[in-house]
Order: sequence, then structure tokens, then C-alpha cells
Amino acid sequence: MLQPEEDLVLDRLIHEPGRLAILTVLSSVRDADFVFLQRATGLTKGNLSSHLTKLDEAGLVEIEKRFVRKKPNTNVALTAEGRRRVAHHWDQLERLKNLSRA
Amino acid sequence: MQRRQLETAAANYSYLRGLLFVPLGGLSLLAALGNWQVGPLRHDWVFVVVAVAIGLSYLPISRYYNDNYGRLSPSTREQVRVAAGSVIAVAVVLGGSTLLRSRADWSLDLPVNAIAVTFAVVMLISYGIGVGLKAHHVIIWGALLVTGALPVWNGADPSNIGVVLAGVAVIVSGVFDHRLFVQTFGPPHAVDYENGDVAA
Repeated sequence: MLQPEEDLVLDRLIHEPGRLAILTVLSSVRDADFVFLQRATGLTKGNLSSHLTKLDEAGLVEIEKRFVRKKPNTNVALTAEGRRRVAHHWDQLERLKNLSRA
Repeated sequence: MQRRQLETAAANYSYLRGLLFVPLGGLSLLAALGNWQVGPLRHDWVFVVVAVAIGLSYLPISRYYNDNYGRLSPSTREQVRVAAGSVIAVAVVLGGSTLLRSRADWSLDLPVNAIAVTFAVVMLISYGIGVGLKAHHVIIWGALLVTGALPVWNGADPSNIGVVLAGVAVIVSGVFDHRLFVQTFGPPHAVDYENGDVAA
């Protein structure tokens, strides 16, 4: 039986398309709010909320709840661990893509 | 999954909120009209009042984008890039226009509209680096560049006309940027934000 190369094992938490989209958008900014993430990823409010909960529990994002002009506003930023893991995940995907071409 | 598209969402958000550029274009036009002392703009207080009114129009436009499309803080790297780019842009416009046409000894003194040429070059480079040149950028800023570079600007200093042309280009480009922004992020009110958001 083939043993998977440990380096090429994909992170299941991050590999889910919605969560990977959120983390990738966040990797290009310091922080972003819920509405921007919804616009950038195209996720529904419920899906985005659910994914953010999972990412928060895993310590990949930090969520700050605040009020902006008396309306609740949720601000999200990647943690250092989140930044490291999403960069690593994209590296893995690139390597897999290159392997499949070889 | 389009990695590049997701990674450039923030850049598109920052560069393509085109309606924010409309007041800037308006201020350029006002500056030129003020220099010519057109109508009531010959009075300083009228100029100041109109400038403040145009400047204040930035606030509801900014609020429109924040409410409908959310907020983000650019990365430190992006902030440094924008700051450095702004300094370089000002230097290019001032230095370039002095080189192309001015009273300086070292000026080439060409019969071109130096403001139009240098501003168009700066905008083409800025958009090119920021979000990649779109068709309307090439057409609008290319037209300004060609217009300014035509050797027909003899006689009196054409700087003020250059400011007018640049102002019009900023407004038109802003409207087209906004159109592209809506195509990219969806129409306003497509996201329910009335009661705030719901998250983890």
C-alpha cells in the first residue's frame, strides 16, 4: 500500500472550498468585515457564519464583534497560525498540481 | 477555486470604488475654473464653499460603499506600497511636467500639455500595478496621454486646460471603475446588511 507523503497530506479543515476562500481573502488584508467577506467569497450569510465559527474554534481567525453606527459589525482577521497554514495549504496544492503534470 | 481572484478581491475593492474619485475630479475642475476666475469663482469664499461642498460629498459615497460592500483594512505591505506610490506619482507629475515644459533652464520646452501627459502616465502605471489595466483605463488615460502629447500646445501655458482634462478623465474613469466594481462584487443591497451581520 502506498504511504502518503506526509508533506502532501491536505489540511481537511482548510481544504473545504468556502473556508479556503475566506482564508485566502483574509491573507491579502489586515482585517475585513463580514459584509466584505460575503461579497468577496459569494457565500451566504449562514454559510459564512458557520465557516467562521469553525475557523475561530481552530484558532485560524480572530473575530471581533463591534458596533458601527449602531449596527452590529463583525470584523475578522487571520491569526499568525491561520496565515501560516493557508500559505502552506496553497503550496501543497501547487505541489500536487505539479506532481500530477509530471 | 480561483486563488488569484480571491487574493485580488481586496485590491479590486480599494481601486475600483470609482465613485470616490468623482469628487476628486470635481475638485480638479474647480481648481481650473478658480484659476480662470470664472463667474462667482472669482470670489475666494465662493471657491472655498464649493470646494468644501465637493469634499463633503466624499462622505456619503464612502458610506455607500461601506454599507453595501463592507470594510477592510489593507495589509501593511499594501499601505506602504500605496504611500510610496503616491509620493512617486507626485514627483513624476511635478518633475515630468517641469522637464517637458516649464521656464526651468533644463526644461525641454516641448509644445505639449505636460500636466495631461504626466498625469496620464502616472494613472496608467498606477492602475497597471494595482489591479491591471482594464479596457476603459487604456482608452481614457491613453486618450489623455495622446491629447497631451500632440504637439499643438503652443502659446500660453496650457497647464490649466491639462487640469480640466485630467479632472474629466478622473470622473469618467471613476464611473467606469464603479461599473466594474458592481460587476465584480454584485449590485448594492444584494447582501442583507440592514440589521447588521451575523457571525460566529
